[in-house]
Amino acid sequence: MQLEKFSYDNQIVKQFMLAAVIFAVVGMLVGLIIAIQLYIPELNLGLQYITFGRIRPLHTNAVIFAFVGNIIFGGVYYSLQRVMKARMFSDFLSQFHFWGWQLIIVAAAVSLPLGITTSKEYAELEWPIDLAIAVIWLAFGTNMLGTIIKRREEHIYVAAWFYIATFVTITVLHVVNSIELPVGMFKSYSVYAGVQDALVQWWYGHNAVAFFLTTPYLGLMYYFLPKAANRPVYSYRLSILHFWALIFLYIWAGPHHLLYSSLPDWAQSLGTVFSIMLIAPSWGGMLNGLLTLRGAWDRVRDNPILKFMVVAVTAYGMSTFEGPMMSLKNVNAISHFTDWTVGHAHIGALGWNGLMSFGILYWLIPKMWGTELFSKKLANLHFWVATLGIVFYAIPMYWSGIAQALMWKQFTPLGVLQYPNFLETTLQILPMHVIRSFGGFLYFLGMFLLIYNLLATAKQGSFIKNEEAEASPIEKATDKIKRGMFHRWLEKRPVKFALLALVVILIGGAVQIIPMLAIDSNIPTIASIKPYTPLELQGRDIYIREGCVSCHSQLVRPFRSETERYGEYTKAGEGVYEHPFLWGSKRTGPDLQREGGKYGNLWHFLHMEDPRSMSPGSIMPRYPWLYTQTLDVSTTKTKINAMRSLGVPYAEGYEEIAEQDLLKQADAITKDLLNNGAPAESDKEIIALISYLQRLGTDIKGNKAAGK
Amino acid sequence: MKSINKIWFSVFLAAISFFSYSQTSAATEGSVDLDAVMRTMLVLTIIVILAVLWLAIVYSEKNDNEGDDFLRPIRLVTNYLTRLQPMEKEKDLLFHHDFDGIRELDNRIPPWFNFLFYGTIIWAVIYLFVFHVFDDGQIQSKEYLAEVKQAGLEREILIKTGAFINEESVTLLKDAATLSEGKDIFAKNCVTCHTADGGGLVGPNLTDEYWINGGGIKNVFKTIKNGVPAKGMISWQTQLDSKKMQAVASYVLSLQGTKPANPKAPEGTKWGEPKADSTAAAVKS
Repeated sequence: MQLEKFSYDNQIVKQFMLAAVIFAVVGMLVGLIIAIQLYIPELNLGLQYITFGRIRPLHTNAVIFAFVGNIIFGGVYYSLQRVMKARMFSDFLSQFHFWGWQLIIVAAAVSLPLGITTSKEYAELEWPIDLAIAVIWLAFGTNMLGTIIKRREEHIYVAAWFYIATFVTITVLHVVNSIELPVGMFKSYSVYAGVQDALVQWWYGHNAVAFFLTTPYLGLMYYFLPKAANRPVYSYRLSILHFWALIFLYIWAGPHHLLYSSLPDWAQSLGTVFSIMLIAPSWGGMLNGLLTLRGAWDRVRDNPILKFMVVAVTAYGMSTFEGPMMSLKNVNAISHFTDWTVGHAHIGALGWNGLMSFGILYWLIPKMWGTELFSKKLANLHFWVATLGIVFYAIPMYWSGIAQALMWKQFTPLGVLQYPNFLETTLQILPMHVIRSFGGFLYFLGMFLLIYNLLATAKQGSFIKNEEAEASPIEKATDKIKRGMFHRWLEKRPVKFALLALVVILIGGAVQIIPMLAIDSNIPTIASIKPYTPLELQGRDIYIREGCVSCHSQLVRPFRSETERYGEYTKAGEGVYEHPFLWGSKRTGPDLQREGGKYGNLWHFLHMEDPRSMSPGSIMPRYPWLYTQTLDVSTTKTKINAMRSLGVPYAEGYEEIAEQDLLKQADAITKDLLNNGAPAESDKEIIALISYLQRLGTDIKGNKAAGK
Repeated sequence: MKSINKIWFSVFLAAISFFSYSQTSAATEGSVDLDAVMRTMLVLTIIVILAVLWLAIVYSEKNDNEGDDFLRPIRLVTNYLTRLQPMEKEKDLLFHHDFDGIRELDNRIPPWFNFLFYGTIIWAVIYLFVFHVFDDGQIQSKEYLAEVKQAGLEREILIKTGAFINEESVTLLKDAATLSEGKDIFAKNCVTCHTADGGGLVGPNLTDEYWINGGGIKNVFKTIKNGVPAKGMISWQTQLDSKKMQAVASYVLSLQGTKPANPKAPEGTKWGEPKADSTAAAVKS
């Protein structure tokens, strides 16, 4: 057969890798800043734009979508071309993808500090950016599938299976979770409410971990690890089994983020059992990675690239065992809402994604510049600094997570809470937070070793923009499916492969989400639940803007230790007007589900101005800008209308008098504040926030609170 | 070399039997306390350390363990579970094709992997059956009710034995120990609203004779216990046990007549003398 000459596009890989390194530094720096803010709240310098609640999502978005995202795209563009023996389908799409993605990142970096957020974790970006993500993602998918279709390699290599699954699944997740109703250019409400929103969000959130941080990286591992080790992949059969099992099972596990919530028991149990069933398929990836190194372990000793990859794969194995353990309800009862989860997430992020990325970069840059790595010694040093950073990060997090959870649960022999003051448990773990930030600092420091080493490497080589290659074209496959050879058959048919993957990943989500949306008995109605008043609604949007949900849960779990501390546990029926839900996933501060009426207006007024005036030692930041910024009431009408079209029963025509109502309620609160000796201006944002906080959970506080 | 293994093995066995003996003796005394937990942890740790040492010795490079009696069963099990092919046979397992130079091997999936995989699937089915087929699936509400019921039973016993005080049985205490405990509780929980000297800030002045919800130990205890949500006074009964509430109520009343730095204006009604007498009478009785 005639050999065809063509070239691989290295330019696009270089661009993505460069962007990845830059955003890694930015994302880690933001992470370091918020880690220190947890014990020095003044580090926000009094600026709202760099306060914890606003830049915590900036950190997660930067490291997940900017750092890891760009590594994925760069790695896919490098490896896909080579295992398909074809240049990328379209150079234009490649560049469109690159610049579009970077633009999205910049938009995120601007909008999140401004408080423009949907508050849904890892999906914080507002609707115009969501649309842009969809367009760019489809461009990436088209480019990838196009390349696969015009390939010169009969079979599709396992790395590309993972890339295909990543593309189809992220498309589905992003679209379904981002269905929202715009109320202006930079604000929208999720169409789902309460427990339904929670289920959709964590179906998305969990699978963002699965299909953005895991499957594409497994794909990268299947290319770069055997390449770096120069060893064959251990078991093709294992690849098939763990690939299909992984993508099928992963999608079911979302509800393990909602254990002991008001999600129905059946859905919680599905989350638990599917998480346990995920252990083996996840370990399949680790096994194939580690056993590929069989016979090459002596090289691991003096090859830093393999060291990075081995520890990355091991970290992957550890966190994919830990995750299922945390999905057991008795473990989750302790780990949830604590630093344990943060530690777990960072074993995955710093260990698996981070170290794997570094290994890939150290291998790839010399290759693309046609030279050797500038300094093995520096790479080795980086390896040890980064690994030590992970140790210093993770161990204190486990320690503080477990310590705080046990303190929350401890009763005295007389049957009352041993640590009734939440703050006491916070202060107990602050030293752990100091050590954690040191670990993060070490890891961050390692980045500069990498940058210096790679720049020096590039300098000593010369960049190969287009790498020449040749291969013969393939003939169209016409073979029949033979017994036991189904997968071989499928590997030659990328479109069928993608469709089958799509079907496989749709099942789990459909089985959980459709009944939750369609069957009423899953959410028993509570008659006393009423829609928010206009002022409360505006206050809730300020709560969302400031990212309060980053530190405060609104979910009292059915444990005696929580109902004693906070009040009645959260019921599914309470969330029917909650667009979006605000349960949160971390309790750095106390739960706020039953905050309404617990303290007077004055307490909140003084507390938000300076939390330490009411709670000495508190690590909550001050919110002075709420006292000077005027509440934007022009949006009230649109918001009421939007909520009504989402099913919140505001009376017809209420939007016309909503603003009047809002002003009336604001005046009442201001008057109460004045009576208690605090002159306040009724048009400021703080008044709206207080009204919201005072409403929280009061609808079913029942007759106790109704007595006032 | 064999003899060294045997020595270690006997040490290992002896250690296990010794610690399991000490465990059973601890259990028969019926002390289910932290010590027992610590001892168990210690035993487990020592067992693991010994096991690792033993393995380190038998697997050390210098130790030619071919044909070793102790290792044969372990090797059999390991071989059965992993089915690792010797490296020399690798070329027979290679697929002919390569992807950009990457080859693949046709190794079988390790049996232990399959055991784990199918084991977790079986576990999952059992889990779902136990909770959702053989039971009604109301897992967490039942768990919660059981927990609360248990706590209620324990509370009843505490009330019967007098360990628990309520607003009917509470008395004003004036001894120094109680007042100093009350002062500590006050400093920790109350000063943000009532200020350190009781002069009042968010909450009312506690040093004057005016009370919004009634003065005297019984009313003050009740206010602390149930709170006054409408006014922003929170209920403390889930946070302070009844003795602590008695102590802090007694301390609050000891502030009567003191002169705070920035007293808040009086609120509520003046608490009459006669009722103060009845409080005093209650102390005597």
